[in-house]
Amino acid sequence: MKKIFAIAWKDAIVRFASSSELIFFILLPLIFTFLLAGGTPSNDDDNRVRLVVVDQANTVISLNIIAELDRSTAVRPEVLPLDEAESQFDSRRATVVLVIPADLDLQAIQDGTARVDFRQQPNNLNATVAERAVQTALRSVSSAVNAANNAVKTAEENGTFESETDRQAYFEESLKLAQTMQADSPERVTVVEGSTPDRIEYDPRASSSAGQLITWVFIPLFGISGLFAYERQQGTLRRVLTTPTSKATYLLGTISGQVVMALVQMSLLILFGSFVMKLNWGREPLALFVILTAAALAAGAIGTTMGTFIKTEGQASGLSIMMGMVMALMGGCWYPLELFPAVVQNIVKILPTTWAMQGLLDLVIRNGSLIQILPEAGVLLGFAAVFFSIGVMRFRYE
Amino acid sequence: MLKTFLIGIKDLRLAFRDRAALILMLAAPFVLTLGLGLVTGRFSGNNNSGLSDIPVIIVNLDNEQLGNALADVFTSEELADLMEPSASSDPEAARKLIDEDEAAAVVIIPEGFTRSIVPQQGDFNNPDAVTAEPVRIEVYTNPSRPTGAGIVKAVVDEFLSRVNEGSLSGGVSIVQLMLSGRITPDQAEAAGIAMGERLQTGTTDSALAIKINSSTADGEEVDFDILAYLAPGMALMFLMYTVSYGGRSILAEKTQGTLPRLLVSPTSASQILGGKVFGIFLTGAAQMLILIGASSLLFQLKWGDPIGVIVLVFAAVFGATGWGMFITALARTPAQVANVGMSITLIFGIMGGSFISLDQMPPAIQTFSKIAPNSWALDGFTTLGLGGTLADLSSPLVALLSMGTILFLVSVVLFGKKNLVQK
Repeated sequence: MKKIFAIAWKDAIVRFASSSELIFFILLPLIFTFLLAGGTPSNDDDNRVRLVVVDQANTVISLNIIAELDRSTAVRPEVLPLDEAESQFDSRRATVVLVIPADLDLQAIQDGTARVDFRQQPNNLNATVAERAVQTALRSVSSAVNAANNAVKTAEENGTFESETDRQAYFEESLKLAQTMQADSPERVTVVEGSTPDRIEYDPRASSSAGQLITWVFIPLFGISGLFAYERQQGTLRRVLTTPTSKATYLLGTISGQVVMALVQMSLLILFGSFVMKLNWGREPLALFVILTAAALAAGAIGTTMGTFIKTEGQASGLSIMMGMVMALMGGCWYPLELFPAVVQNIVKILPTTWAMQGLLDLVIRNGSLIQILPEAGVLLGFAAVFFSIGVMRFRYE
Repeated sequence: MLKTFLIGIKDLRLAFRDRAALILMLAAPFVLTLGLGLVTGRFSGNNNSGLSDIPVIIVNLDNEQLGNALADVFTSEELADLMEPSASSDPEAARKLIDEDEAAAVVIIPEGFTRSIVPQQGDFNNPDAVTAEPVRIEVYTNPSRPTGAGIVKAVVDEFLSRVNEGSLSGGVSIVQLMLSGRITPDQAEAAGIAMGERLQTGTTDSALAIKINSSTADGEEVDFDILAYLAPGMALMFLMYTVSYGGRSILAEKTQGTLPRLLVSPTSASQILGGKVFGIFLTGAAQMLILIGASSLLFQLKWGDPIGVIVLVFAAVFGATGWGMFITALARTPAQVANVGMSITLIFGIMGGSFISLDQMPPAIQTFSKIAPNSWALDGFTTLGLGGTLADLSSPLVALLSMGTILFLVSVVLFGKKNLVQK
């Protein structure tokens, strides 16, 4: 036991010999958590998609379009001058921009020449939602004019107008009637939120916070491979051979030390999430401890196996970062899994990050309890068992 | 000049012989781009929105034309990539599936939905038909899948707006015909039923009276490959690693003693420093061009105007090289450059938009992001991916070249103070 502690302590000293390790241990995770989690709106904010609107027409029709968009549950219109909107769009600070041109008025709709410009960033899924919302708003605003046009057409099918003035008067009366009827039209859709047991409101900040926690803990745990490579390069592993220290003791000391450091790192990130970002991390502390420990063991085991394949510390460092980032991406730590194609959602179940993320989301978003996260914890411990076995079998001092 | 060139080529060779460096210079951006392509559905032929196959359950209890039309919207070709609809006849069972997180939303079209909108025989003389409560579609949403559920709701809203438009149009026409004396009240029912039939057939193809031009800032149709945004995002992020790796080599050569050896040869300090900078520039440019070439060949990715791409790559590498030199000038050891370089790589990556869209960042961060060469270069690559040319790249090019020049000049002053390459 004393040897295990001594090895773990030695690794901590080696790891934190340079103060720059603190950048990766706490500083970068906090910056990423803040930017990714803090950058997304919380439930207290208006989380509709921001739609920049440029109103060059400033007509009743354009104002109606903006009012209709404001009533939308999907978009939040923000009216800006054209140059400001273009500047924001070009610098990717605005996802979607709707430009209502100067010639958009009642006459243009009546003539069928009315057009608006909808500009969207190429990579943004919010644009899909915004475009539907814009279509709905435009239809709503133009439907009264359409109805009046149709009324005139139907009237002409049932007899002619005596003059153009009569025709225009008929249009205007129809438009007035259409506007009245539209104002009185009943609601035809009801939205009911699902009632999952013990569920709480979806919080994208909690989701982002969990994702960053996993990303930044998995990368250094994969870095255990670097510790092995470092000691092998330095020749210190060979020296251990000359002492009465078994392979199991050495591995246990190295791995447990890193896992404990990971738990400390996770605790700091959770404290940051709880106290600074007001996230609901502390509801089930035992369940949280179980899932975090299982995740850390799984990542540590993979790092151990990697260490038996990798030759140099430099390779270990690069591979740890790459694998950590790829697994985080594919495991839903950066983007919600629901956005992935169905096939990919199934494939990524082979990754420990997917299960770790699922377990954490069960706790913070779905109000899960210890019982509910046991399957995820079980799978993670399975990963740990498999990769520790491979790592221990393949481990060599030289 | 030749010496500067030779030093640069030597550093380029060393960088590409270092397997550990190649992992982060080439393998990481490539694998991450591959991963992003998979999760966004780019490789499975899905749409470019990044969202696909939203599981939605349709419970059509109406089974008449409007109900069927709404069900058809979800199975239409237009939404084939976006939606993964399934049908159910049991509302309770469908709601249960949502509660169990099996789908994003259920759309329940109740019995009588069509009849509540389209006038039927006898409705005109039936007071109950006039005063009846409207029959409402229920969208039962999954709170843990807000994006998917929001899109389902948006599709239903859009359909209902078309229905309302048709209903309004029919209603106004009939009332106006009666008011103007073109038809008698007795004829109204027949005319209303005829209008209703027209409404039922017109719900799926009614065009917007106000047309939408989906376009870029240049007014061109959007036909953008999402990978043309993701691939440069990742390449640019790891470009920052490459330039810091190059900067580290300056300090490493000093520590290993090869820099003093160079200085005893008839080579000036400025030639050595120039050669090192040139080496960093060459390595960064080679990295970017290899990634661009590989993604073009393997993913059939179109990066846009070739001249624009090459000029932008050189400008981006120049701007990033300035940062590499600046970090090196501030650091004391190669390890410090490595650590700070990796930190800057990741921070600039997130601030430049390689991970999430810039508009999701707080406004202060959006402004601050302009110090990252990634941010300007990604703007440029996006412009090119959307069909822009070299002429459209003035802002990013000016910004990147200015950034590189300023940082290089500051670095030279700092190097001078540190006497790094003095004989």
